Amino acid sequence: MTARRWLPWLGLALVVAVSLVVGAGGRGGPPTDAERKTALASELRCPTCRGQSVRDSDAPAAAAIRTEIDRRVDEGQSDEEILAYVDSKFPESLRLTPPASGLGVLVWALPVVALVAAVAGLAAAFRRWSAEPLPAPSDDDRALVERARSTGP
Amino acid sequence: MNAALGTAGVTLGLAGAVLGVVVLAVGLNRRRRALASGQEAAGAEALLHLGRPFAWLVLAGAVLATVAMEIALVTHDFSLTYVAENGSRATPLLYTVASLWAALEGSIILWALVLAGFLAAVAHRFRHQASDPLVAWATLTMLAVAVFFFALMLAPANPFTTVAGAVPADGPGPNPLLQNHPLMAIHPPLLYLGYVGFTVPFAFAVAALVTGRLDEGWLAATRRWALAAWGFLTVGIVLGAWWSYEVLGWGGFWAWDPVENASFLPWLTGTAYIHSVMVQQRRGMLRVWNLSLLLATFSLTILGTFLTRSGVLDSVHSFTESPIGPWLLSFFGVVVAVILGLIAWRGDRLRAPGRIDSPVSREGAFLANNVVFAAFAFVVLLGTVFPLVVEALNGERLSVGTPYFNRMTTPLGLALLFLMAVAPALPWRKASGELLRTRLQWPAWGGAGAVAGAVLLGARGLAPLLAFGLGGFAAAGALRQLALSVRAARRRGASVVAGLVGRSSGGMIVHLGVVLVAVAFAAASAYLTGEEVRLVPGQSATVAGHTVTYQGMNPPAETPQKTVFSARVQIDGAGVYEPALNRFPNATQTIGTPSVRTTLTDDVYLTLVAMPEEPGDPALIGVLVQPLVAWLWIGGGVMALGTLLALWPGERRRRVPASPAASPAEERPAGEVDDADDAGGDVPAPAVVGS
Repeated sequence: MTARRWLPWLGLALVVAVSLVVGAGGRGGPPTDAERKTALASELRCPTCRGQSVRDSDAPAAAAIRTEIDRRVDEGQSDEEILAYVDSKFPESLRLTPPASGLGVLVWALPVVALVAAVAGLAAAFRRWSAEPLPAPSDDDRALVERARSTGP
Repeated sequence: MNAALGTAGVTLGLAGAVLGVVVLAVGLNRRRRALASGQEAAGAEALLHLGRPFAWLVLAGAVLATVAMEIALVTHDFSLTYVAENGSRATPLLYTVASLWAALEGSIILWALVLAGFLAAVAHRFRHQASDPLVAWATLTMLAVAVFFFALMLAPANPFTTVAGAVPADGPGPNPLLQNHPLMAIHPPLLYLGYVGFTVPFAFAVAALVTGRLDEGWLAATRRWALAAWGFLTVGIVLGAWWSYEVLGWGGFWAWDPVENASFLPWLTGTAYIHSVMVQQRRGMLRVWNLSLLLATFSLTILGTFLTRSGVLDSVHSFTESPIGPWLLSFFGVVVAVILGLIAWRGDRLRAPGRIDSPVSREGAFLANNVVFAAFAFVVLLGTVFPLVVEALNGERLSVGTPYFNRMTTPLGLALLFLMAVAPALPWRKASGELLRTRLQWPAWGGAGAVAGAVLLGARGLAPLLAFGLGGFAAAGALRQLALSVRAARRRGASVVAGLVGRSSGGMIVHLGVVLVAVAFAAASAYLTGEEVRLVPGQSATVAGHTVTYQGMNPPAETPQKTVFSARVQIDGAGVYEPALNRFPNATQTIGTPSVRTTLTDDVYLTLVAMPEEPGDPALIGVLVQPLVAWLWIGGGVMALGTLLALWPGERRRRVPASPAASPAEERPAGEVDDADDAGGDVPAPAVVGS
């Protein structure tokens, strides 16, 4: 009986686990040069446009940075080297990922803190609710139920 | 002439709104005093009935202003500054008409028109309850909002100023990006219907706070209004994504751009609201929270308009900048202060009795849903304004872009998919393990099948696979609910369609649409392949299994509006597609028009990156292959359909209830007691109508 109840769920867990292990593991080695180029261009803000990344923009400045990224990837430079080069060329950062240092920490940490606080608050509320005894029904409540029963379908 | 007509309309609207506020305020005050001293309040109630004529007056003013501007645009009346800056004789009629919302001042006219429309609709819908203080206060609130928007049109964003000096013979036309695709004609109006539509539940929330009638009456009265606004906002956002996909030429549909975020934020809080409202209707709980969500939804639309229209944030959509920033910010501040003050004042009455027995229950799932939606909105808001905050604090300039938003919102999105799968199967109050096992078994297999199938088809990567799996789980869960609902309808002798109509089934169909959008979003973002290929006529290249052959350039097509240089590119030896570059006479940069071959499995997105110098030279062609993109738009359509079905009056509504307490339980399918529609929302609430 118990086995028959749990067996389907065990099978289900097995299917999901195997699929995820096969699927999540097997990206097939390090990213290709083309993937790296796209990823790098997506990491940078186009310096002359409004709110578009280097990858998305067809502005000349974005095209120039793309060409530079392509050249350096082909030369075999690492992602860090290329990003450091771009950082050195522009007075202000073009990175679209805010830094995890200085004030930038806040943009990463605040949502996590808020979410943890909300979940903790809910957990506390549930503990309080389950600790409180249910209020005893009043005479009015009983009368209401009685009325509902007698006029019911 | 048009300027005079338009200004007259704006003045009429403003006068109607101001007078309406005053008359309703006087009427409400007299009624209160009369009732307090035990006198007849008939005179005061007659004043309250005047709210409706004033609402019609505001609508008349808004229509007059809109008509005046449209006449000016269509007849090329360049004596108006707005027409001189946004119109041109060469622009086709469709885009000329749509120029009303191509720039800020015209957008405010549209906003005022939509607001006046909702105002008049509310006044008409509740005309028999006009003397009810709840309705009167709601009307007054909407009139007050109208005062603000009409005042904007008289002072800082006056659309009817006339050009100084000689009237120009022609204008530059709207921004080239805004006259490149017919979606431009419908996407902004739908978005505005959504934004402004939330003013209605907001106004009733204010009215409930002021009158102290904080029971569920105002919720029931505005349920359909909130749902309709949400539906418009949803379709508006999806069409905006479609527009940017078809026009902007980078193959993306969502860039976490400030303007996109500004439309997404009220959608997130609005979605949280239409879920948590069910807990209040069913259990009377979460009163403050629901009020806060409505406040957030309304004020986020104002804040979003401020962020994107004042020029403080860089956005690809900031087609105009103007001095209305401080006005919008002040209005935002006033709205937030007033509501927080009202909530604090009514704090004692907002304390709801009751408790949630178990986290594993329908109301527990709604709570979790709200926590995740609130966190989602917080991330989007924080990421959008963070650069401003940092720059204000230490002068440093940093960007928060797509990588941040994707990383932060992916887990939240997956959590929402999971809740969407589980919540509909949960009963109210408390769920037993046995019940969950029975109800979730087949949906869970749906999810497992989706993961296994995706892996077999070659999909890789943890996040997309989780999205597919949870999407399959949620879709199967929604289908199970629909099947149960249809079965129940058949059993009571109704048609299959009757089982698909109503809040609960409509909601499940919306869920199906959300799953389609989520799966398509995950697949298209995770598995895009892009390359720029340089081809001479006749040459082919292969990108992600698709062969593209460049056949050559078409002769330039010249119209007064623009000159189009298009290439002929054949995909997979079949159809010929023509990505193009457009040169507009008054713009320096060329604007690309992508050409997309859409199929249900994948899209091949072609752009002409660089034209050949000479006819035989190579052209640079961008090829982007993304799977499942079409399902984003199909999913949007399914969400719209689900919203319509949820709005449709169900059987229970049409049937006249014998008494207000008529039990809805009798129609619930056996064994699925708690799965049945939350009928509370469909029963007309006599509490609002009377008193």
